[in-house]
Amino acid sequence: MRIDRTHRPWMFAALAIFAVALAAYIPYSIASLPRGGSVLGIVYGVVGYGMMLFAALLGVRKKLPVWRLGRAQTWMRGHIWLGLLTLPMILFHAGFTFRGPLTGLLMALLFIVFLSGVIGAAIQHYVPRMMTASIPLETIYEQIPHVRDQLRQEADKLVSVLFAQPEAVPEGVIASAHAGAEKSSAGPATEEMIEMEVEERQAAADVYNTMIVPFLSNPDSGGSPLAKADGARSFFETLRRKLPATTHGVIADLENLCEEERQLTKQKRLYVLLHGWLFVHVPLSIALIVLGAVHAVVALRY
Amino acid sequence: MRQIQLTIDDKPVTVDEGISVFDAARIHGIAIPVLCHQQNERPVGVCRVCSVDCGEKVLQASCIRPAENGMKVQTNSDKVKKSRRMIIELLMSDHPSPCARQRNSGDCELETLARIEGVTTSRFAKRVSPRGQDDSSLVISVDHEACILCDRCIRGCDEIRHNDVLGRRGKGYNAGIAFDLNRPMGNSSCVSCGECMVSCPTGALTNKSVVKTVLPNGVPVAVEELKRLPFFQKISGTFLELNANAVIKRHYKAGDIVCREGDYGSTAFYILEGQVDIYLATTMAHVATGGGNTGVFRKMTSHLVTATGTYKAGLASQSHPRSISIDAPVDLAFDNPVGHLGPGDLFGEMTCMSLYPRSATVRATTDCVMLEMLRNVLDVIQRNKTLRAELENNYRRRALDEHLRTVPLFESLSADFIESLASKVELVRLAKGDVICRQGDVADAFYLVRIGFVKVTEQHQGDDLVLAYLGKGSYFGEIGLLANGVRTATVTALDHVELVRIDGTDFQEMLSRFPDIKRDLTAVARGREEQNSRHMASVTQIPLDSFLAQGLMEANSLLLLDLEKCTRCDNCVRACADAHDGVTRLIREGLRFENFLVATSCRQCRDPLCMVGCPVGSIRRRNSLEVVIEDWCVGCGLCARNCPYGNINMHPFDVMVADLDRPGKQKAAIKTKATSCDLCTELAEPSCVYACPHDAAHRVEPNQFFKSYRQKKIAEHS
Repeated sequence: MRIDRTHRPWMFAALAIFAVALAAYIPYSIASLPRGGSVLGIVYGVVGYGMMLFAALLGVRKKLPVWRLGRAQTWMRGHIWLGLLTLPMILFHAGFTFRGPLTGLLMALLFIVFLSGVIGAAIQHYVPRMMTASIPLETIYEQIPHVRDQLRQEADKLVSVLFAQPEAVPEGVIASAHAGAEKSSAGPATEEMIEMEVEERQAAADVYNTMIVPFLSNPDSGGSPLAKADGARSFFETLRRKLPATTHGVIADLENLCEEERQLTKQKRLYVLLHGWLFVHVPLSIALIVLGAVHAVVALRY
Repeated sequence: MRQIQLTIDDKPVTVDEGISVFDAARIHGIAIPVLCHQQNERPVGVCRVCSVDCGEKVLQASCIRPAENGMKVQTNSDKVKKSRRMIIELLMSDHPSPCARQRNSGDCELETLARIEGVTTSRFAKRVSPRGQDDSSLVISVDHEACILCDRCIRGCDEIRHNDVLGRRGKGYNAGIAFDLNRPMGNSSCVSCGECMVSCPTGALTNKSVVKTVLPNGVPVAVEELKRLPFFQKISGTFLELNANAVIKRHYKAGDIVCREGDYGSTAFYILEGQVDIYLATTMAHVATGGGNTGVFRKMTSHLVTATGTYKAGLASQSHPRSISIDAPVDLAFDNPVGHLGPGDLFGEMTCMSLYPRSATVRATTDCVMLEMLRNVLDVIQRNKTLRAELENNYRRRALDEHLRTVPLFESLSADFIESLASKVELVRLAKGDVICRQGDVADAFYLVRIGFVKVTEQHQGDDLVLAYLGKGSYFGEIGLLANGVRTATVTALDHVELVRIDGTDFQEMLSRFPDIKRDLTAVARGREEQNSRHMASVTQIPLDSFLAQGLMEANSLLLLDLEKCTRCDNCVRACADAHDGVTRLIREGLRFENFLVATSCRQCRDPLCMVGCPVGSIRRRNSLEVVIEDWCVGCGLCARNCPYGNINMHPFDVMVADLDRPGKQKAAIKTKATSCDLCTELAEPSCVYACPHDAAHRVEPNQFFKSYRQKKIAEHS
């Protein structure tokens, strides 16, 4: 979610709550040693825990998208801004001190959840724009393996006019070349082949099989010059110089396929970045909620 | 009769006075080549091929030159041969050799004659301006290029058949044959008797290749047997012989299924004996958006609901028709969609003529005998004046009342008024592209659509803007009649269309007798005018190239995802699936416009091509611009194929249907139905938008949205 001008009401409300909480805390901390067990301390704790609970309910809300429980974006704004307030509230509750292992653990969890949330919000603020700008060929994330299969098949089809595929260059091509034949005689597919020297055909096959196929088969592995735009540009430029002009159309198509592969790789990375932080944020939030409840019961009961 | 004597090719002959030289020669075994004349037609002497030397200054056309006493005729002198050869050469210079007839049967009379005369090439240049072909008839192919203007077809049509359809058009190089006032043959009043085709000496008029289609697994019907049936008595025997395979007899046992709804076909059925039930076998159900306005748990669920129980109660508040229009002479009641047909009934006309899917399932209730026919035969039946009158009478007698009452507005019409109206209404038959009325014309009639689809358009900035597509059961023409007597829109036939035309005077009488109808019609007309005005007002004037290219301008409502806000969490897709029985109607993929993704979801197009052809009219607009798929969808998939944006999908659903083997019991079955975004009309806001936590999903009116978006961008840059 982009945190833009539409968030102002929430931001001002959060600031107002913070200001009130702070205004109450300053005289309270001056008058006495702030403690979680004091009345105001308990109020801070309850409010802070309530905000945590509300923030956690966003997950539940998402699981029930059709329920008319308020627009999801309202829940999300509440999650962000009230979630931000939980840290000062809990700090006011604890009086900025961590006594005992449980509260220490809780505070550590709170800091991690808070930080991961802030980082997540920042990521979700910036990355979608980055993704939109840099991945014009974006597809549905779950469809990426399928699209990659298609790209690989398309590449094989494209190079079939350069040499026989998917098998390696057949013997017949070389044999006929030695016999002085200008065209390959490797079967029906060769009838549509682009005319070129046997050496050039061999070079094209070598380049495709040793460089392009490995990249298309495993584009995430890195290490290939095709994995980077500059490297790919230089690679295909060299290839163009080696092969006759009649093949340049195919080379341009192959270059586009590699570009699409790179975009898919980038999409995967950005997608993981967009949602990966949740693997920290969500389980620790649940732990925080549960342990917070335990802490409340233990503190109030004993 | 007085006898006269003359000499033909030095052979003395005696003939009756008054006969032509051509006939005199023919009677005595002397063949004179001819093209424009045949024995059963009046001679006109236009081709001049039969010219002979009668000892006069110029050669005479023997077919129109009366024989005279003492006349000396030479039919094969050098002068005659030279002249004949010249004429044939001239005709051949303009003839597409080999013509269709020569290719098919090798008996083009002109080309045969040319071969006999040794004319293989022509010294004369071909015509530079082509005369063209006319492929509009289902039965006869017209190749004006091959026409030699012999007029045999015209005389066959006018003098032998007395149909008076064919005539001449143009002069000089522009001369040709014409149907009615130069209309395409298929759109003319031609009854397809085939006489012109039989008369034509060349490939200008040939039988279409549809005759090669053989209907499988039926009993061929002899022409004599067909001619004994009232429906076929008036049809040309020549035509029936040429189309021997286009009509077959089928026998069905009680319980047999004749055709199933949603299936594609190209034939119509005429019941000779027995009774059939015609019904919608697909469960009257559809995926409804979970929710409603009452009850917390009702808001949480969605399911495939049948038109009974709670959902049925909900239907009352919607504008559902009283009956469902199908491709048969009866409409099906919405509550109990089963009709009955018997001997003399014809069904499947829309499937046959326009190749739409079958609209209903037909099951024999007794042993039945039916004729199944291809559309060339049906076309001929429908064109035949006598048979047409019979069909119209049947319609007036049986179906007009029912048809009028399918329009909710006319429910209150009294039986006596409908009876009086029955003798006055006219059944109008139109071919694809025919204009029924034009914007600005005097409004003189009210129309009900009986078969086919019409397009309603209005002129807007020099273009035709589509206001609506209307199918069977719809009506139009009331706005002009109720207002100032001028048509406010143009209505055009989209396919084979049949309309019930109620004359303006009768319409006004109806309004004066039934003030309730007048009040309701006025309200409908006002509503339509308002809707049209909204429609016109929403047409963009923003010149946006890629915007136009993506067809977004044609949308009423777009689901846009702001890609700068969207985190690709797919909550919108999950919400859509949750709201629709687990089947999403939204795919988060599509074209991009700037930073917006136009998701694959119904665009509620201004020109909703998806509606055209629905055999049961279940995809439609209610009283707003939203396109909805109603619960009587039979799952034929035509709308999904028609949607240019791939926004309608076919989904299989588990439903309970009546078990025919165990009466009274139900069994589980899978039925396919069309689904598309219904904008969650039963909820306050589309679920996808409601469930988006990032404020990225928006349902927008595109023109307005992009206009303000552009203005915002310009303001930001300045």
